Amino acid sequence: MKILAALWNTLKRPPVHISLGVIIIVSFLGGIIFWGGFNTAMEVTNTEKFCVSCHEMENNVYQELQQTVHWSNRSGVRAICSDCHVPHNWTDKIARKMQASKEVWGAIFGTIDTPEKFEAKRLELAQHEWSRFKANGSQECRNCHDYDSMDWNAMSDEARRFMEPAAERSQSCVDCHKGIAHQLPQQMGSVDPLLAGLVREATSVRLDEGETYYSAKSVDLYTDAERTEQAGVLQVATEVKVLETRDDSVKLAIAAWRKEKGFGRVLYEDFGQNISSAVLDKDIAQDGAMIETHQSDVVDELTGLPWGQVSVTLWAEKGAYLGKREALWETAGQTYRDACSVCHTEPAPEHFDANTWPAMFSGMVGFTNMSAPTQELVLKYLQMHSSDFVDAAH
Amino acid sequence: MGEANDQGEARSIGKRREWLAFLFVTAVVVPFLTIAAVVGYGFVVWMLQVFVLGPPGHGG
Repeated sequence: MKILAALWNTLKRPPVHISLGVIIIVSFLGGIIFWGGFNTAMEVTNTEKFCVSCHEMENNVYQELQQTVHWSNRSGVRAICSDCHVPHNWTDKIARKMQASKEVWGAIFGTIDTPEKFEAKRLELAQHEWSRFKANGSQECRNCHDYDSMDWNAMSDEARRFMEPAAERSQSCVDCHKGIAHQLPQQMGSVDPLLAGLVREATSVRLDEGETYYSAKSVDLYTDAERTEQAGVLQVATEVKVLETRDDSVKLAIAAWRKEKGFGRVLYEDFGQNISSAVLDKDIAQDGAMIETHQSDVVDELTGLPWGQVSVTLWAEKGAYLGKREALWETAGQTYRDACSVCHTEPAPEHFDANTWPAMFSGMVGFTNMSAPTQELVLKYLQMHSSDFVDAAH
Repeated sequence: MGEANDQGEARSIGKRREWLAFLFVTAVVVPFLTIAAVVGYGFVVWMLQVFVLGPPGHGG
């Protein structure tokens, strides 16, 4: 305290012993040294040597990069970590450097210090980078690559077919070129992070008897509470009524329509509409004691098929249901728009009716990387938002 | 004589203090505050990106 007071006393008075010239020159030189030091330090943290100084980077992403065209190529130009992963704009760069404090934390506590831990986190880490590239239109790619400088004639026909339309829209590079410099997450194509989030959320939804819920994923159905005798599969986003909960099981009532031709294994959301709710095993579907029929022989005039309104009561696992369907639709709609708009303007869901969508969807879905569960949800979303369900329809 | 000596001693203490204070402020305090300001700015931008702005966009 005393030292601080003495310091303040000295500082608040004009200097007696040091000349103004000396103060100016020393301060000026100090400023130069500081500025230089600051920039040098910033540059050091941008070097590849600095990045791979922790083994998390060295053993994983750095090794993968060496297999790619960004490491060695016929032109002899290569990209180092910071070329792609650090924004060049000053403010964003400083923010990124501060963000790295989280990486220091991770290095100290070993968040990803084994290959297994790294793989488990890879999807999440990749997603952070992808959303960054999405937001800035892959700016870091474009610091080197430029649509205007692309020579279409030097490209293969296939490359040109995709690149020309992308250039017209100035599309973000990483929209298509995920995995260009590092391996893709292993789960890619099997886990949709948005959907996974909802499934996780569903594990903590309280189930009240007599209330209505919606499946957040497809779940196996059983005839018994111990879940030993499988009876079929409940599809995603299907309305169910909870009748009873016991241990980890829940008794569900599923109201549906089905075609009264063949075995009637597939249960549908509504009369005359091929929106599937559940698929039952043959024995169950044929078992009059299991299936309660409310209406029978209602003929769909378009196809001439007789339909019946039924309900079935079966057991399933707990923790897979949400109180509302909106979040599922939102996820599905987002996925639909993202996946389809990569190549073309996606038609509005109400552009087709519920029975047209399945063929339309299966014809196109092969061009996307939607996983099977996601496909199921997205198709259902499209059908449930088709012209059959929207008033202002075609 | 003794008085002049005392005065000389006080002068040299004052000079010492002045230099110490000057160098301490230019070499330690100001650089520290500058770095703190830049770090603080970076953190504020980062937090804004996390909660408000989203990831940096075009020319951000």
